[in-house]
Order: sequence, then C-alpha cells, then structure tokens
Amino acid sequence: MIRVEDIHKHFGALHVLRGITLDIARGEVVVVVGPSGSGKSTLLRCVNLLVEPDEGRVFIDGVHVNTPDIRPEWVRQQVGMVFQSFNLFTHLTAVQNVTLGLIRVKGTDKDAAEKRGKELLARVGLAAKADAYPAELSGGQQQRVAIARALAMDPKAMLFDEPTSALDPEYIREVLDVMTALAREGMTMIVVSHEMGFARGVASRIVFLDEGKVLEEGPPEEVFAHPKNERTRAFFSKILR
Amino acid sequence: MPSLTYRLRRANLNRIESILALALIFGVIASMTDVLIGDRGLNTVYMGTVVDIFLRGMYLSLYITTASFALGLGIGFLVGWIRTTRTVPFKRLLRDFRLTSADASSHASSQYLLFGLSIVWTGLKYVVRRIMDGYVEIMRGTPLFVQIFFVWSIFIVFLTRMPERDLLAVLLAMTINTGGYQGEIFRGGLQTVHSGQVEAARALGLSRWRAMRYVVLPQTLRLITPPLTNEYIGLLKASALAFYFGVQELTYYAKQEAFSGHVFEAFILTSALYLIVTFTLAKVITMIERRYRIPGLGIQQAPAAGKLSRKETAASG
Amino acid sequence: MEAPDVVSVAKGHPRYLTRRTGIRYLEMAVGAILFLILLQLALGYDVLDGGFWSRFAGTYARGFIGTLTYTAVVIPVSAVIGFFGGWARVTRHRVLSWPVAVFVDFFRGIPPLVLVIFAYLFGPDFLPQQLYSRGMALTIAALAIAFHSAAYQVEIFRAGFQSIPRGQMEAAEALGMSRWQTMRHVILPQTFRLSLPPLGNEFATVIKDTSLIGIVGASEMVALGQEFNQQVLISGTGPLVWIFAVWTIIALTYFAITFLVTRLLLGLEHRYHTPGLEAISL
Repeated sequence: MIRVEDIHKHFGALHVLRGITLDIARGEVVVVVGPSGSGKSTLLRCVNLLVEPDEGRVFIDGVHVNTPDIRPEWVRQQVGMVFQSFNLFTHLTAVQNVTLGLIRVKGTDKDAAEKRGKELLARVGLAAKADAYPAELSGGQQQRVAIARALAMDPKAMLFDEPTSALDPEYIREVLDVMTALAREGMTMIVVSHEMGFARGVASRIVFLDEGKVLEEGPPEEVFAHPKNERTRAFFSKILR
Repeated sequence: MPSLTYRLRRANLNRIESILALALIFGVIASMTDVLIGDRGLNTVYMGTVVDIFLRGMYLSLYITTASFALGLGIGFLVGWIRTTRTVPFKRLLRDFRLTSADASSHASSQYLLFGLSIVWTGLKYVVRRIMDGYVEIMRGTPLFVQIFFVWSIFIVFLTRMPERDLLAVLLAMTINTGGYQGEIFRGGLQTVHSGQVEAARALGLSRWRAMRYVVLPQTLRLITPPLTNEYIGLLKASALAFYFGVQELTYYAKQEAFSGHVFEAFILTSALYLIVTFTLAKVITMIERRYRIPGLGIQQAPAAGKLSRKETAASG
Repeated sequence: MEAPDVVSVAKGHPRYLTRRTGIRYLEMAVGAILFLILLQLALGYDVLDGGFWSRFAGTYARGFIGTLTYTAVVIPVSAVIGFFGGWARVTRHRVLSWPVAVFVDFFRGIPPLVLVIFAYLFGPDFLPQQLYSRGMALTIAALAIAFHSAAYQVEIFRAGFQSIPRGQMEAAEALGMSRWQTMRHVILPQTFRLSLPPLGNEFATVIKDTSLIGIVGASEMVALGQEFNQQVLISGTGPLVWIFAVWTIIALTYFAITFLVTRLLLGLEHRYHTPGLEAISL
C-alpha cells in the first residue's frame, strides 16, 4: 500500500538516499535499521512528504503522491508520524494536542473532537492526563500522547522515527507496548528504531539501510540470524547481544 | 520529479530574491533621497567643509560617554556586589541564638551583645540592599532626560557659577544613570557565577576575598562583557541628549547645521558617524565575545532589551 | 525588579501575587517616601506645597495627557511593526528579511533623539503639501520613536520565533496542517508567550523615550515642565526650589507609568503562562 520507487535525495553535496525502492503491504510492520547517517529518518520523511525526494516516486494506495498535483497536506492525513523528540505543542494540553488536527485539519466539531481525543488518550493509557501540559508529563507519557495525536487523524499507516531513542530506559517499555498493540490491531507501520526486541517480536520485515541504499531486507529471524551482507553482519554484531 | 532542475530552480529563486531584495532596499532609499533633495542636489562641498566640526562633536560625545561609563563601572560593581552578597535571614539568626543560649555554659551578656550586633549588621545590609534596589529601579524607571534635568537644575540653583557647569552636570547625571544599569549587569553576572563557585573555592581553602578575586571576578568579567559593551553603545546614543544643555557634542552640531539650512547633509553626516561608531563597537563585541566566551555559561538576558541593559544591540543582530 | 513568585499555576487565573511580593511593594513604597523626604529636606523643597500646585497643576495636567497620548500612539505602532518585522526576519524569503534587517540596523544604530529631530525637520517632506502642519511634523517625530523601538522589537520577536523548537513545525505539518494553519495555531501563540518578558522592558523604554519628542516642541511632561521652570527661573513666579519639585513629580509620574505597564505585561505573561514554555530571557 505504500511504495517508494528509486528515491534519491541530496542535502547539498551529500547524497543521502541513493535509489531506494521499497514496497510495504497493508498491515505490515517494517522496521528500518542502520547506522546513523544512513538516511533512515530522511526516508521516513519522504513517505509523508515532509522531505521532497529529488528523484523517484512515492505511491500511497496506488496513487502517485509526490507530484505538484497532490497537496502534501492530504498525504499527511493518510500517513501519521511520531517523532523522536515527541514535538508536542507546548502551549496546549494533552487533549488539545490530540484534537488540534481533528478540529483544524479535518474540521470536526469541538465536542466530537474532544470525545475522540479522550478516547484515544485512554487507548494509550493516559485518560487521567488529558488536561496536563506536555511539560508536566514524563517522556514516555509525552510520546504516548504524540502517538494518540497521530492516531486522531485516522491514518492508513503510521511512521515512527526512533520513537524511543530520546526516552529514559524506564519509559521505553510503555511506548513499545502501545506500538505493539497498534501492530496487533493491524496498523501498517514503518518504524525506524534500535529496539531489536521490538523488531524481533513485532516486525514482519527488517530493512537494513546503509549509506542511502537498502543492503538487505527480510523477516527478522532471517536477517538477524543469517545476515547475507558483510556490513549487515558488522552492524548487528555491534548492537545485538 | 527531476532533481537537477528542482535544485537549480531553488538556487535561482534565492538569487532572484536577493536581487529583488536589494532592488527594494535601494529603491526605497533612492526615492526617499529624491524626495528630500530633489532638484537642489546634495551640497557635497558644504559637507566637506563641515565634516571636521562633526568629527569634533563625535569626539566629545565619545569623551563624555567613556568618562561616565568608566565611573559607572565602579559604581556598577559596588551596587552589583552589594545586591548579591548573601544576608542571613532573620529567622535563622533567631534560631541560632536560641540554640546557643540553650547551652548554659556561655556568658549571657556577650551572647546578647553578639546577637544584637548581628541583628544590626543584618538590618543594615538589608537596608543598604533595598536602597541599591531602589537606586536601580529609579534609574530604569525614569527617563535620562529627566534625570539630567534634575541634576542640572541642582547645579543651576546651587552652583551657578561653576566653570563647565553644564558639562559637569550632564556627566554626573549620566554617570549616576549608567551606574544603575551597570549595577544590574554586574548583579546578573555575579549571580550567575556566585553559587557553587564560591563554595568550591572556600572548600579549597581560599579566603572570601581571594575567592572573589581569583574565581568569581574573572568569570563575571567575561560573562558581562557583551552586556557591558551594549550598555556603552546605549550610553553613546543617550549622550545625544547632552546637546540640549549646551554640551557641544555631535548632535549639537547636527542641530546647528540642520537649522542653518543644510538639513539633509547634516543628517547624512550625523547618521553616518553614529552608524560607523555603533557598528564598529558591535563588531568589537562579537570579537571579544567570541574570544572570551566561557562555553556553556551565559547570562540570563534577551538579545534585545533584556532586564540587564538599557538597550542592547545584539552582537548577533 | 525580580519576577514575582509564582504560587501556583491553577487553572484559569494563576495567582502571581504572593505575600512576599506584597511586602516588597510596601517596602518600596516606604523606601520611596523616605527617600523623597530626605531629598526634600536636603534641597529645601516640598512636593506637597499647595501654592506650588496651584501654579503647576495646569501645566502638569497638560503634560501628563500629552505624554499619555504619545505613549498610546507609539506603543501599538511599534509593536505591530516589530511583530511583523520579526516574522519577516525569520522567513526564507530574502525579499522580506533583508529589507527588515537594514531597517533594524539603521534604526538601532542612531540615537533616538537624532531620529526625532530629523524626522521633525524633513518628515513632512514625504507628505503631500496639504497635510503640512506642525501637528503633522510632531506626529512624524513620534513615529520616529515608534520606528526606533520597532527595530528593537523586531529582534525580540525574532528571538521569540527562533526559540520555538523546530520540531513543532514538523509535527504540525505531519498532521496535515498547511503553512498558514501551522503559523496560526502552533507558532504564533508560542511566539507571543515567549516574547512577553523582554517586551515589557521595551515598552517601558518607549514610554521614557517619548520625553525626547518634547525637544521639538511636543506638549508632553518634560517640555512643559521645562517651560514652567524657565518661568520660575527667569520671571520668578515662585521660589527656585520649585524646579526640583517639578522634576520630582515628573520623575514619579514616569515611574508610575512604566511600573503599571510592566505590571500589566507581567499579568499577561502569567495569564498565558504555560509550564515548560521558558521565556526567551535566555
């Protein structure tokens, strides 16, 4: 349902993405791994057009979306995103964060939006914190609100950019639990992460990115146990125990 | 989407925008100058003859600014220091006293005496600090113009025949004013450094004074160099007020020449001089700041009009 | 003045005046009164002298209204220019940010007094002949003050914009908000909150700068006060010490006005305070 075809991206002189082609089927959970600087975050941002590819095509549900004919805002309503640094709106409470998109982008009326917002917060386990400001929440709680905020838009797929990398260890679990639950409910997810436990348990496919190219992909058991590429092996030996 | 043309397009857009921006700026300036000079044209000959008067004026402006700034430096330090020394809260004095008096083996009378003295000393420090606070607040809450008038009228009434009376009055007022602002700057600087550093220094065995001299002061001075230089620039601009009281600094001559008919020429010369000086000083700030900056340590203040200085032209701009 | 202690940020109306701030104000008031008494004793005048007031009241009232009028004009103008200028400074459109940069450098590098004088002298040249009048010239001089302050406010708002974490914009866009929506609902509210503290200071400065317009003949406190004093000095309408009284009153008035304005802004700041949104008193 999501397809990126031969994507290239340059930042100045840096050739970050060098011809990436990837197909993600509905309900798949794809975990993208790779050394820093390999272009993982950039790839993710190409899917919801926060970054425009220099070359190549992006398809969502068969629709070619990186053309001038399609509004990026529409694309972003189809695909939600969760960031490494949460990026909650600091001047709004948790429930306001969740409902902002509903009210301003989808045009939902305030009461319906608030109801849905509280539902979603309950779903991520934060019903009690609806009226708290981000600064009053722990990192794990903030990230869960961020997930609820993205879910509020009823996206077809969700993108996660290293969602737990900025969290203190004691909060990683709660966020991963929410993500696991989402995956079990059948959400299509592309996750950039270093959490191999999560990958092993939930991912349908692992994609190994290095220097802007897909070096290897396959089901987790295969890729972890029998990496075919030399660099993949080197990378995993460093991060897998 | 082809990448090469996209990038070229973006680069071209920037270039186009730059040209448009420059065109806009020069266009506005040109049309404004046209309105002002019109057919008369710019009297550059006149400007040539009058430049050295203006320079003389700028020299005096710099002179009075530097003089009052330097004196203000001393005042500022004192004020800042007084406002940051710690005073033992009254309750604690009381508690300490009760604790020591519980120990019956000490002499009662000397106890009371000590207690009384410490109360008086604390009270004194407290009052002095409040006075300093008030001083700074008054300086910041009232216009310099009014302050100069006040001091000047005192001179007029009581020291009518003092030589250079007006100049001295202005100098005094400016000194008192900048002393207040600098007091705030010093306070900020000292406070930022104060807490753990003095403790650590004392723990090493340094006396209070040596701790101040070798640990706190060097850091403070580096920290406050940017706001202090900004204060200097602000003071220079404020010095323009001196002309009203007869001090023949730059604005005095500017007004004189302007009213003798060469308005625009006077304006160009005056603005040019002020801009040159303020720009150079701002560049100096950036250089000094870069060289003496302590990484990771910064004063609490906003780039423009922070609590610390009268008006800061941010070095970053 | 240190920031008042924040007791709690309860929903709706945070209490920001604690007992300690109350005491501090009392102390200040007492200190001020004591200081005034000492000053009066030293110089030999009395601000409460009825005879003095019978002569000065009219002048004072006129001056006070004049100052207030100029303040009321200059502050909004400078704030609007400052805000949009600050916004322009942070866009990537050089057509917007470069001219504003030039504006800022020019109006900050020249003393406001010089700006006032020359604005008065050739400001009206920019207007069509009919609008030519002394009142118009004074208005333009006031605008010069406004522009001068606006230059500083551009920097304040610019810093406000820039201290919003980048991720905020990303997150808003990721939700599908357009550029404009992101501005309106995410960026601008936060800029406003972040800019309030230094803004209060700048407003106080502008209020004091209105005294400069008096030099070109505006009817505000300082100019009228000086006029009155000239009368006292030259025609002897009263004892010379009245001069001190005049300046003391004027100083107190300015103090009161700036105090009120900064308090007002502090109030705004607390009304819109969100925990975690640190002000750019960086």
